[in-house]
Amino acid sequence: MRWLPTFLSASLLAATGALAAKKSTEERFKEFHAKSLSSTPVKLADSSYRSLTATPRDYTVAVLLTALDARFGCQLCREFQPEWDLLSRSWIKGDKPGASRLVFGTLDFTDGRDTFMSLGLQTAPVLLFFPPTTGPHAASSPEPIRFDFANGPQSAEQVHEWLARHMPNRPHPAVKRPINWLKWISTFVITSGSLTFAYVAWPYVLPVIQNRNVWAAISLISILLFTSGHMFNHIRKVPYVAGDGRGGISYFAAGFQNQYGMETQVVAAMYGVLSFATISLAVKVPRIADPKVQGVAVLAWGGILFVMYSFLLSVFRVKNGGYPFSLPPFM
Amino acid sequence: MSANSVQVLANAGKGESTRTLLRVIILLLIAGAAIASRLFSVIRFESIIHEFDPWFNFRATRYLVAHGFYKFWDWFDDRTWHPLGRVTGGTLYPGLMVTSGAIYHALRALTIPVDIRNICVLLAPAFSGLTAYAAYLLTNEMTPSPSAGLLAAAFMGIAPGYISRSVAGSYDNEAIAIFLLVFTFYLWIKALKQGSMLWGALCALFYGYMVASWGGYAFITCLLPLHAFVLICMGRYSTRLYVSYTTWYALGTLASMQIPFVGFLPVKTSEHMPALGIFGFLQLLAFLDYVRSAIPSRQYQTFLWLFASGTFGLGLLVLVVATSAGVIAPWSGRFYSLWDTGYAKIHIPIIASVSEHQPTAWPAFFFDLNMLIWLFPAGVYLCFQQLADEHVFIVVYALFGSYFAGVMVRLMLTLTPVVCVAAAIAISNVLDTYLDARSPNPEDHQVDDVSDGTAKKAAKSGLKSTSKPVVGVYSTVSKSIVATAMTAYLLLFVLHCTWVTSNAYSSPSVVLASRLPDGSQHIIDDYREAYQWLRQNTREDAKIMSWWDYGYQIGGMADRPTLVDNNTWNNTHIATVGKAMSSREEVSYPIMRQHEVDYVLVVFGGLLGYSGDDINKFLWMVRIAEGIWPDEVKEREFFTPRGEYKVDADATETMKNSLMYKMSYYNYQSLFPPGQAQDRVRGVRLPDVGPTLNVLDEAFTSENWIIRIYKVKDLDNLGRDHASAAAFERGHKKKKANKKRVARLLRVD
Repeated sequence: MRWLPTFLSASLLAATGALAAKKSTEERFKEFHAKSLSSTPVKLADSSYRSLTATPRDYTVAVLLTALDARFGCQLCREFQPEWDLLSRSWIKGDKPGASRLVFGTLDFTDGRDTFMSLGLQTAPVLLFFPPTTGPHAASSPEPIRFDFANGPQSAEQVHEWLARHMPNRPHPAVKRPINWLKWISTFVITSGSLTFAYVAWPYVLPVIQNRNVWAAISLISILLFTSGHMFNHIRKVPYVAGDGRGGISYFAAGFQNQYGMETQVVAAMYGVLSFATISLAVKVPRIADPKVQGVAVLAWGGILFVMYSFLLSVFRVKNGGYPFSLPPFM
Repeated sequence: MSANSVQVLANAGKGESTRTLLRVIILLLIAGAAIASRLFSVIRFESIIHEFDPWFNFRATRYLVAHGFYKFWDWFDDRTWHPLGRVTGGTLYPGLMVTSGAIYHALRALTIPVDIRNICVLLAPAFSGLTAYAAYLLTNEMTPSPSAGLLAAAFMGIAPGYISRSVAGSYDNEAIAIFLLVFTFYLWIKALKQGSMLWGALCALFYGYMVASWGGYAFITCLLPLHAFVLICMGRYSTRLYVSYTTWYALGTLASMQIPFVGFLPVKTSEHMPALGIFGFLQLLAFLDYVRSAIPSRQYQTFLWLFASGTFGLGLLVLVVATSAGVIAPWSGRFYSLWDTGYAKIHIPIIASVSEHQPTAWPAFFFDLNMLIWLFPAGVYLCFQQLADEHVFIVVYALFGSYFAGVMVRLMLTLTPVVCVAAAIAISNVLDTYLDARSPNPEDHQVDDVSDGTAKKAAKSGLKSTSKPVVGVYSTVSKSIVATAMTAYLLLFVLHCTWVTSNAYSSPSVVLASRLPDGSQHIIDDYREAYQWLRQNTREDAKIMSWWDYGYQIGGMADRPTLVDNNTWNNTHIATVGKAMSSREEVSYPIMRQHEVDYVLVVFGGLLGYSGDDINKFLWMVRIAEGIWPDEVKEREFFTPRGEYKVDADATETMKNSLMYKMSYYNYQSLFPPGQAQDRVRGVRLPDVGPTLNVLDEAFTSENWIIRIYKVKDLDNLGRDHASAAAFERGHKKKKANKKRVARLLRVD
């Protein structure tokens, strides 16, 4: 009797297979293609997903498994969704007769919990590409090919290129981005507005532009920004501050090659104070006519310089553990 | 008696000739200090060429000295980039090699017998002395203060930002390029100040030398036009500017086009376009200037408008047409990576993989410049006081340089000179004020204060802080406090520089040093051990495959042909090596056969905890290979499902089967008692059963396992595939699976 369960399950499998294959592959493609002509990508649920991706199939399927609901907090899904919609729309629009035999589908986690389970997916989004199993473009393996979202959100063009690579000898309708009217109009309005403003305000702006103090301030601020690692923040997109693991805030990142946004601002401020103290000592103090005021100013600026430099050195020792030098207050 | 001698001493410093003598002595001392501080590595290790690129420069120099200049110019190197070869003479900057070749022959002519290697090792320190002098000259153009130049020279001599690329043995293009950079700037300022064609021509000459020496010449090519442009915008167009700029541009461009590697780039690529554009703009301005003197002013206004709009439209049209027709090259990838290294990471992994192309975090600035970094803005501010043409240059250079230094670590080098100059201006300003022995009389200035109103108005165009007249410092206590503090900071700066140089920048990276428990130094010399092994035990034309980092070293030290090296001119070839390293043995073997590889070299730091090894660089190999074969190599597959990069038992199958993993960990577990095998870099325990290698034989492993060399097996004598042949040799039974084997096909080549 040991063969009975095997037989049963086998027949069951055959039955479900027959159920899915009830409609021929041609019929299924027609059905889904018609659907996608009205709205693409086709919104799938568990059952329609199974029917769409059942073997044998002589068409290609690209399914995005995603989790758009706010509950899941999938930032990447939400960022990619418009790109995906754009890609499928421009593809279907460029290929209305369905010559490329490609169906786009989207399966949201809320509609396709079982599919996510059966595929053992832990993350979203996942883009699966099902090659045809029969027909002229049949692939050797019915297994879907998975697109990698490892490098963050992808653009429609990048995914298009990936699809095109897997579908040689078939038409690849290009991605057509709709004209962003709002952007054009707003650019036009802003440009003309600012030109008008510049024309009207020119006599008032001119003295500001020609003012040496303004330029000195701009130069110094940009130098301070650049030398305190602002470009690093910009390129690496570092966090502004981070927790220290005990509920507090850690202002200075551990490690020499690492920094936080706020840390660079603190450093820029320190450099600024030090520079300003130097400038005051060099330029302002010798111009004070009153001896007493001058004496106090020298002491004050000299003291600020000393304490601030000492603090800077102590901060640097946090970053670079082996640094041996320090000045008194912050030893 | 004693008063008399003090008088003599005080007068001694006042004579012009005495001052000159003192200055010469001080400059010589600074040059001595600059050279001495760069000799740590020679004293600690030996007179050896460092790192990677210098080994190629050294090899090229030897070729130049041995074969002469013309042969060097036409050099086709068939021992790199096998089987492609490299037109070396036309793809390098020859300035460095020619300089050391000239020194070598000059010393020979003076009958001083000297080894070319020692010239190469000591070239960078020698030029750093000259750089200090150039900084002195440049600073003297900026300020009347005699001490600023000397301070700038001292800063330039010992600032770690410059030392990092110019220690003894660091025989790289930057060794002479920074001197040329600073000296070209000095000549430019000189030419601009005097409107002199002679100085302009000299500037062009040194610019040509700079182009011949370093790719960073583009920095000058962009900075000088920018300076000219800012001057024009400030309404400071003058015939001085016209003469100096046009002389520099015309002669300098011609000079730069003599270098085969540069060729026609100066008239084609976008990096050079600003210089060309400003050149044309200056011609227009000069023309307008002439017209204005010739026709009445009413007509001149109309003429100006028509002329300006016509020229602008025409220029734009030409630019658009030329770019779309492909006459002007699109902005090159390296250029984009300057604006945004994120661009490079997506599009050009080979650029992003170089650590020098990463953005700079703030500790790096402080590490390389110490207190100069906060004196720098102060110095720039002081330049705004007078804001003559040369001060504008400092301001423009400061902004431009600090932006690029922030984007790319390597460009800290081009920022350092202006930091030194500006900081010297700032600190000399403070010292001049507080070291002045004369004190003003308070009564004189009380009166002045009231009648100050007129003076204030006169100084309206200047800075707000300088609107009052200079009084001076009254109290000796104030003077001594500030002077002492400044001296302390300067001393701290010297200590910092020495410490940084000694600890961070003096390691040859070919030879590693470690400390034994008793504190004595232990030298780890695996690299040279392995390269020596290659030199002595392999055929002279045995091809070595390794990651490109080691290409120059293998060429220089082992003198064996390599597949790829640090020149990185052919991304596909590098990706081929990356694919061979990151694929399964069955995939890699045909690749290696096709490229006639005899030996494969990997760097493995697991035993010693040496973190710069190939497993840590492995992801870049994967990424670069994926860029060319996205379907065969996938970065994702080297990460565990949880997104971790692992090498222990949890490593993915793709990782465990990759050639690089197998070569790194082959037999590694046999060093340890069972279950104890440990990778000290990644800090993980390795599985008991190590990987098996079928297509390679272990040929050599260095003392500390840093370098491992494998021999590529020949085809099997019996025509089996390597896996079954190796299995047979290990004594395994023939598996039944062999029955299924497809009938052997006749190989048709």
